[in-house]
Amino acid sequence: MCDQTFVAITFGPCDSCSQNKPLMNIYLQNEPVNYCSLCVELMACQGLAKGETVSTLRAESENLKAKLEEERAKLHDVELHQVAEKVETLGQFVIKTRRTLKGHGNKVLCMDWCRDKRRMVSSSQVIMRSAAVCVLQEHAVTMPCTWVMACAYAPSGCVIACGGLDNKCSVYPLSLDKNENLAAKKKSVAMHTNYLSACSFTNSDMQLLTSSGDGTCALWDVESGQLLQSFHGHSADVLSLDLAPSETGNTFVSGGCDKKANVWDMRSGQNIQSFETHESDINSCRLYDLRADREVAIYSKESIIFGASSVDFSLSGRLLFAGYNDYNINVWDVLKGTRVAILFGHENRVSTVRVSPDGTAFCSGSWDNTLDFNPV
Amino acid sequence: MEAGKVYSSNTVLQARKAVEQLRLEAGLERIKISAAAAQLVQYCQENRRGDPLLTGIAASSNPFKDKKTCVLL
Repeated sequence: MCDQTFVAITFGPCDSCSQNKPLMNIYLQNEPVNYCSLCVELMACQGLAKGETVSTLRAESENLKAKLEEERAKLHDVELHQVAEKVETLGQFVIKTRRTLKGHGNKVLCMDWCRDKRRMVSSSQVIMRSAAVCVLQEHAVTMPCTWVMACAYAPSGCVIACGGLDNKCSVYPLSLDKNENLAAKKKSVAMHTNYLSACSFTNSDMQLLTSSGDGTCALWDVESGQLLQSFHGHSADVLSLDLAPSETGNTFVSGGCDKKANVWDMRSGQNIQSFETHESDINSCRLYDLRADREVAIYSKESIIFGASSVDFSLSGRLLFAGYNDYNINVWDVLKGTRVAILFGHENRVSTVRVSPDGTAFCSGSWDNTLDFNPV
Repeated sequence: MEAGKVYSSNTVLQARKAVEQLRLEAGLERIKISAAAAQLVQYCQENRRGDPLLTGIAASSNPFKDKKTCVLL
């Protein structure tokens, strides 16, 4: 397990003053430059209005944050579960694990469904694996790094992307030929300066969105490996991302260790909205509404003392599946805020929970080295 | 996984960026929870029939129902 992050410091000529100094990698209008710390300060101070200093800016920051909280509090006229009172209560939720996939020799860290709903890709400490649900046609690909934390299926179902501690996201074309050496066809697309935590194709096989322990998210062109857009705003590792479900939509959300969930515009790189949680908010799942720009429901119980690592909605949005570090999956009624089922299927932390694209099943991956497939 | 460290900084650049971002967020148009909640309830209700995990599905149309023979892809 990676407990330490090492920051590599570059030393060399500053792009601004040409002196050899320790350099900071910064972005000016989305272009990466290397400035020494003195030049960074000078440049920033040039834009200062009269009388502005770090402390006045900080004070204004605090002011704006307080105003933001005030505005958000004004919207809190009712609770979601109150509005949902007249909605009929859900019947007993019964689901049976149909198949447990045991091929991984190590902790399962991530999984993704193929749009054909019959295949999945999952990744673990050493091997990334593509499995067909009904049949055991599988490819095992060895990665040069130990933790493959992210994996994703391309919309076409012909390509898989994955990465982890190697700081990269690579794509592999899939083949029905079991003997084919997939690793040989690997193509590196994304390069971060720290571990890759999550990846997802956009609406096509051509673009890949990644998030990283280096605190950024990025959009890449798969063919050329070119960086199309970078997203800066998190002040710590970004652990997850998800795209907005619309066909034409161009937004995605990212979650970071800075306790923030940021909504981004994919074209401009702009951080549109940001949701922050507090120190005391542990072991709960929260629902944020983008139009109300605030939290509208909390899913928690006193008996749940471990955090949730992964969540996914059912197709209508009524059910929320959440995998926890206490080895269980809790199923929540999103509208009423109540828990409708606890699923005990795993013998270690649940690391990933995903509902299939057609909503007829969900899959859970765990540190107990297995994947549980649960159909209706 | 241990939470990553927060990269804090005293630079003017960071402070200005933070202020600019907050100004942007302050300008957002927001709706009340009552309105948002009503829309959430409506969406869930409208889509409930198309949610197999919610309603359960007939065995004949279940793509994952155990078949007698397995097909190699």
